[in-house]
Parts: sequence; structure tokens; C-alpha cells
Amino acid sequence: MTLSPDEIILFVVWGVPLNATIFHTWIVMGVLTAVSLLITRKLRPDVPPNRWRTALEVIVQGIQSQIEEITEGPSRHLLYFVGTLFLFVAVSNLMLVVPGFEPPTSSLSTTTALALSVLVAVPLFGITSRGLGGYLKTYLEPSFIMLPFNIISEFSRGISLAIRLYGNIMSGAVIAAILLTIAPFFFPVVMDLLGLLTGMIQAYIFAILATVYISSATAPKHASTT
Amino acid sequence: MSIDWLTVAAQLVNFMVLVWLLKRFLYRPILDGIDAREAEIAERMQVAVRAKEVAKVAEAEYRAQVSTLQSEQASATDALRHQAEQEKDTLLAEAHDRIERERKAWQTHLDEEGRTFTAKLHHAGGHALLELTRKALRDLADEPLEARIAAHLARQIGSMDAELQNAAGTPDEAVVTSHGALPKPIQDEVTAELRHRFPDIDLRFDTDQTQAHGLVLQIGGAQLAWTIDTYIDGLNDLMADQLMTATEQRA
Repeated sequence: MTLSPDEIILFVVWGVPLNATIFHTWIVMGVLTAVSLLITRKLRPDVPPNRWRTALEVIVQGIQSQIEEITEGPSRHLLYFVGTLFLFVAVSNLMLVVPGFEPPTSSLSTTTALALSVLVAVPLFGITSRGLGGYLKTYLEPSFIMLPFNIISEFSRGISLAIRLYGNIMSGAVIAAILLTIAPFFFPVVMDLLGLLTGMIQAYIFAILATVYISSATAPKHASTT
Repeated sequence: MSIDWLTVAAQLVNFMVLVWLLKRFLYRPILDGIDAREAEIAERMQVAVRAKEVAKVAEAEYRAQVSTLQSEQASATDALRHQAEQEKDTLLAEAHDRIERERKAWQTHLDEEGRTFTAKLHHAGGHALLELTRKALRDLADEPLEARIAAHLARQIGSMDAELQNAAGTPDEAVVTSHGALPKPIQDEVTAELRHRFPDIDLRFDTDQTQAHGLVLQIGGAQLAWTIDTYIDGLNDLMADQLMTATEQRA
């Protein structure tokens, strides 16, 4: 039994092994892009919105309102980043129910990559908002004694993000696999339903924490959160 | 639980690509569409607000016009009512005048009819009374009526000798008028009686169809007469008394 889809090699292209994590990530990307393209391709101001476009608007505006509640101001760049995080994690976790689909989020490599993205995004948004000096000064707050702790805090955020998401999704998938071997008729369905719920919650938590980290780096009055 | 750093790098690239793809095909179109729709809604609301203001102004104008029209209508109605009342009064006055004229004309016509009827009644009654008297005289006394009339006139002349002479003065001519021509013996009798009182007078006998039956003697300024009219008047009074008595008894 493999615990990570990284170990499942599906193809070898020009000598490069293509594992299940990358392949299923492409599937998720393709689904998201195709759905977006299909719904928004005939989007014109003079055409009244249909139910699909309305659903998409509800999702996008929901993400935007959540971000605005935390950052106390609109930010499209933050929406692009955090919204993509949420949608990618959510769709990956929802596709858990598709037979044969290995959620990329059950791979520690994926969650690490996402956590690294957040880890890089925090200083980028912070520098954009406060300037380089202003951002670096936050590491000395409230006192220069806190500098090492702030640096450790910064990295521990990324690690906690990665481990939390990976642990939850991987454990759900592993438990479902184990139950499938013990009681293949009823419990896997219940666990899959639970996995869907857990996956959506984890996507929400991941996106919200990323927003909080970035907003703490951008908003001068907000204290950093661990 | 291991990390494949090649996969991590690939996932980082994949994530960046996904951010770009969703930004290109999801967020921008959706948010731009929402912004455009909000702008359109805001523009429509501004247009609606302007239209509402214009409508309010127009409403105020129309209300003022309606108020003016109502006041004009009220004054016009009052004027028309006043004119109608004047016309009604005029028409009523004209109608009253016309009715009064017609009533007077009718009354005149009735009076004329009454007079005509009375005259006819006088004439018919006189004629009937005369014929009855003549027949009664002939049956009872075998004497013509005209002879009795002439005798009556002669008695009057005799009884009123002095008064008649004073009233007549010194006349040259006397005229005896009757309804029809008098018989010769009666003319002679009247002539003899008159010549006895007025020896030098010329006597002439005339007839007048409009005069009642009887004799009328005109001497100068004096006049002696006996006609049936006096009896007809008495007969009318008698009939009126009888009619009134009958009416009272019936009541």
C-alpha cells in the first residue's frame, strides 16, 4: 500500500517519470480551466447571467467577501492567489470520490509546494504593501529580541500548513482504503462522505490561514498570527 | 511520508500556471462582468433617479394644470349656471307673459262669445217672448201686439206730458223706430196721439233690424220707449235666481 501518490509512476516521458500527483494535478487544473472557460466564454454585459455563471459569481464573490472580512479591504491579487488555493484544494478533495483518482493534496509534495507558495507570497505581499524596510521591520516587533522567534514563526506557519493539509487528506484516503479492505460495502461510503466534508473544511482552513498570514504581513496594525 | 522535491517544483509551477489560468479565464471575466453590471445598475439607477425627478416636475406641472383647469371649470360652470338661470327666468317670464296674453285673449274670446251668446239669447228670448205675448194677446183678447204697444206708448206720452215737453223743448220732428214696419192703423194711432200733444211736429216712422222688438219715440232731446229688452233682462234675472236656488238646494 502506497501512502503517497508521488510513488505511483503513471508515465515516463522522455525519461522523466510522471507520477500520479502531477498527472492528477493536471486533471484538476484542466477541470477548473475548462469549467471557467465554458462558463465565461460568452460573458457579455448585455447578456443576462445564466445559472452557471451565477453559481460561479457566488463562489468568487464568496471568496472575495471572506478575504475582505479579514483584510478589511478589496485586493484582486490576493483573490487570485487565495482563490486559486481554495479552488485547487477543494476540487482536489472533492474528486476524492472519483474512482481511481488520487487527490494531489494527499501528497506531502503538493502541500509543501502550496505551503512554499504561501511562504513566498507573504513577504511578496508584505513588501508590496509596506515596502522592503517596512516589511523587514515587522520581524523586530514588538522588540528586536523577537527576531529569531518571528523567523521561526514564519517557517513554522508554512510547515504547519503543509502538514495539516497533507495529514488530513492523506489520513482520510488511507482510512478509506483500509476500510475498503475490511468492510467494502458500507463504511467506505461513509468515510468518503466524511472525506468530502473534511476536504472542504481543509480547503477553507488552508485558504483562510493563507489570507490571515498575508494580511498580517500587509496590514500594519495587525499582529502576526501563528 | 517523504517529499519528492522534483514533484514539489513541478507542483509549484503547476500552481503558478493555475493561478494565471484562473486569473485569465475565471476571476477577471467574472469580476469584470460584475463590475460592468454594477456600473450598469448604478447608471440605470441614476437614470431612474433623473427620470423620477423629471417625473416629479412633470407631476407638479400637471397637478398645477389640473388645479387651474378645475378652477376654470368651476368658474365656467358657475357662469353657465348663472346664464342658465337667467335664461330660465327669461323663458319663464316669456312663458308667463304668453300664458297671460293667451289667457287674456281667451278671456276676451270668452267674453265675446258670452256677449254674442247673450245677444243671441236676448234676441231669441225676445223673439220667443214677443211671439208668446202676441199669441196670448191674440188668443185672449183678439188684438195684435203692436196695437197694445202703441197704446202703451200713448199712455206714457199722456202721463208724461209736462216732463216730455220740458225735455223735448220745441222739436220740429219726431221719429218712431221699430224692429219691423208698423201696420198702418197703429201708425195712425201713434200719429193721432202725438199730434194731440205736439200739433206742429213732423212724424216719421223708421225701422231698425238691430233694435229689439217694440217702439222707440225720439222727440228732440226726449225719448220714450217700450222694448222687449226690459222683459228679457227680467227673465235673465229670474233664470239666474232659479239657477242659484237650484245650486244651493243641490249643495
